[in-house]
Amino acid sequence: MNRRRFLKLAALTGAGITLPCGLGRLITPVGASEGTDLAVVVGQDPAAMTRSAIDALGGISKFISRNDIVVVKPNMAWDRTPELAANSNPEVVATVVKMCIEAGAAKVKVFDRTVNDPRRCYVQSGIGPAVSKLGADLKHVDERKFRDMTINGRAMKKWPLYTEVIEADKVINVPIAKHHGLAQLTMAMKNWMGVMGGSRRRIHQNLDQSLVDLSMFLRPTLTVLDAVRILINNGPQGGALSDVRLTNTVIAGVDQVAVDSYGASLFGMKGRDLGYVRIAADSGMGVMDLSGLNIKKITL
Amino acid sequence: MKKARQITQGLFLLIFLFLFIQTESKGNDTLGYPVKLFLDFDPLILITTLLSAHTVARGFFLSVILIIITIILGRVFCGWACPLGTLNNMVGSIRRRNISIVPPSWHRIKYFVLIFLVFSSLFSLQMVGIVDPLSLIIRSFSISIYPLLNLMVRAFFDTVYETDLPGVVTVSETVYSGLKSTFLSFSQPHFRQAVFIGSIFMLILGLNLVEKRFWCRYICPLGALLGVLSRASILKRSVSEGCTECGSCASVCPSKAYPDVIGGWKDSECYYCYNCDDICPENAVSFGFRAEKITAGMDLGRRRVVVSAIAGVATVPLIRSTPALKIGASDPILLRPPGSLEEPKFLERCVKCGECMKVCITNGLQPTFLEAGLEGLWSPILVPLLGYCEYRCTLCGQVCPTGAIEPLTVDKKTRVVIGLAMLDKGRCLPWAHATPCIVCEEVCPTPKKAIWLENKTVEARDGKKIEVKQPHVDLKLCIGCGICENKCPVRGKPAIYVTNIGETRSEENRLLL
Repeated sequence: MNRRRFLKLAALTGAGITLPCGLGRLITPVGASEGTDLAVVVGQDPAAMTRSAIDALGGISKFISRNDIVVVKPNMAWDRTPELAANSNPEVVATVVKMCIEAGAAKVKVFDRTVNDPRRCYVQSGIGPAVSKLGADLKHVDERKFRDMTINGRAMKKWPLYTEVIEADKVINVPIAKHHGLAQLTMAMKNWMGVMGGSRRRIHQNLDQSLVDLSMFLRPTLTVLDAVRILINNGPQGGALSDVRLTNTVIAGVDQVAVDSYGASLFGMKGRDLGYVRIAADSGMGVMDLSGLNIKKITL
Repeated sequence: MKKARQITQGLFLLIFLFLFIQTESKGNDTLGYPVKLFLDFDPLILITTLLSAHTVARGFFLSVILIIITIILGRVFCGWACPLGTLNNMVGSIRRRNISIVPPSWHRIKYFVLIFLVFSSLFSLQMVGIVDPLSLIIRSFSISIYPLLNLMVRAFFDTVYETDLPGVVTVSETVYSGLKSTFLSFSQPHFRQAVFIGSIFMLILGLNLVEKRFWCRYICPLGALLGVLSRASILKRSVSEGCTECGSCASVCPSKAYPDVIGGWKDSECYYCYNCDDICPENAVSFGFRAEKITAGMDLGRRRVVVSAIAGVATVPLIRSTPALKIGASDPILLRPPGSLEEPKFLERCVKCGECMKVCITNGLQPTFLEAGLEGLWSPILVPLLGYCEYRCTLCGQVCPTGAIEPLTVDKKTRVVIGLAMLDKGRCLPWAHATPCIVCEEVCPTPKKAIWLENKTVEARDGKKIEVKQPHVDLKLCIGCGICENKCPVRGKPAIYVTNIGETRSEENRLLL
């Protein structure tokens, strides 16, 4: 190696080291996943389906780096057991947590601002026991950690949001697909209500636009939609097995709008039937039209 | 013996406090500890409940053990085990000298209280919980002392947290989370009448500064009952001829049992603490099973006993003569916990111990003031504005010592109606203000929602047509849990609220055919 070559190499390495981490995310998808927008996995084992869906997008290491502080946000707002499909499937949530830990995450935080009593929600949903066993940082929401954030949306200008979500290196949204009286369906975008502080019940007065404002502000690294069981009526908390359908599906994607749009199809609806998906697509937040997307369907 | 006694007292107090702190949900359907154990051992509740309700929760048969112990060993419970007695002991130790300033006859008061309670319960009025020491201490801790301690500790750590000092906050938060997982409650409890109930408790503790163990000596009806039982006790105190009547024993006697008066020792007052045995310079005092019992009589006076009994009986119609009797309906806001027996039977049993309020997962169970009449003072009432009844929670029935609230399975509980929700259409957003809202419907927990929505197009002031969903209550499905009232965005005076009409436990308070 001569001197010139050494200097060249040193300069290149230096440049490589100083490149912002964000660029790395732009480079990897090309080779790994051939630009898969959505992964839809059908199968019997929720853990394997979740793993397969994330792998189809390029693997967890595409999203999570070593020493990341990761927030995994399930929907566990209700005091209901897993078979009633009111909360995210515990196996799906646990698998996401496990994969983050495998990818070298320094900490995986799991929480939700529940509607029913938080203790019961964490335990009865099955998510609490499942993730704490894996070493996740499972904590109840600490009211002191909500801070007013300037959202500057069309409906929501300012709202107290949970600082741990804002401060995390990576955020993975793990909602469940279910019926809702006003929004019609609640999936990825509506799951962000679980990080809202204050009297969030007021946002129902302009729900669709508020959800878009919130989701624009809280763009997650990845969304994993649990549709192992879906709730087709009496949502969002259900309570009767007769309202639950077994759809055995897990959907993963980076674009929350696309995920929700695909999720709607499980209920025999289209993305455009949902006000918040329509508004989100119109504001350029994501893609609602599934025909233009590269959707990878896997059956296990 | 003093050391042994203090260790025993401390141990019982610790068990008491441990069980008290465990009276809280961890998210499972059951608690995992017999949190009402101390109450189960209370023979005063056993006897008065048998008299008032002619039946008693099975747990109370444990109190027969205490009766037997008292018959053998005397009033040892007061001296060695009672948590309130121990607290009185501790506060009393602030006062250096053990002098009595009230007339000797005052010790009779507690027997009159006992007679009053026994006779009123004989005529179905159960008032024992107001003065029963175990009900009193659990209630005072639940409603007042523990919330107060929590508030103090939380305020301290929150203040440190707000300073945002690096390092300091890390340490304080570590300590705080340690306290949260052990001593502190899950969330800050808030109770109505906390000041009132707490002040009574502080007064009782404060009376120790007037005279050591004032409450135990003069007022406690459980002490009186155990005192009567210990008249028969086999363990006796005897004083040998070596006694010089120096009076040392009287100076350490916590119960004013007159250990210094030869032949004047009152077995019904003695806590068998052995202080007199310990201090006697001549070693003349001994406790044993053999010697003949030499003790003074109880000296209550026949007339006074009769008057106490009559007072107890007379209180029954006096306290029950209320206008509510006339219309045959209770205060509509009197929402009883699910599983509560019908009101008369409920009141015959409830001892106002506050266990249900302590355990209530939403802090919605509060002590009544006059909603249930004077007779029901401090019994539980659900105040949905403060906390709703969690659909799948059955803890209040599990911890109720008396069976006033029956233990229910989750399945059964979800079908018990404690009241019905109705709308205030003048305040409801979609009904009165052309504004979308579905919160009550969203949170309604019954599998087929008791609240249903009707699509309506309404006109706003500017003539704009607005699509709203107007809520309705299906009275056949509503169970009155009050979550709709609790979560209604119209705060303060919600647009949907629950009253006790339609409650399962009452035959009269029905609405639908």
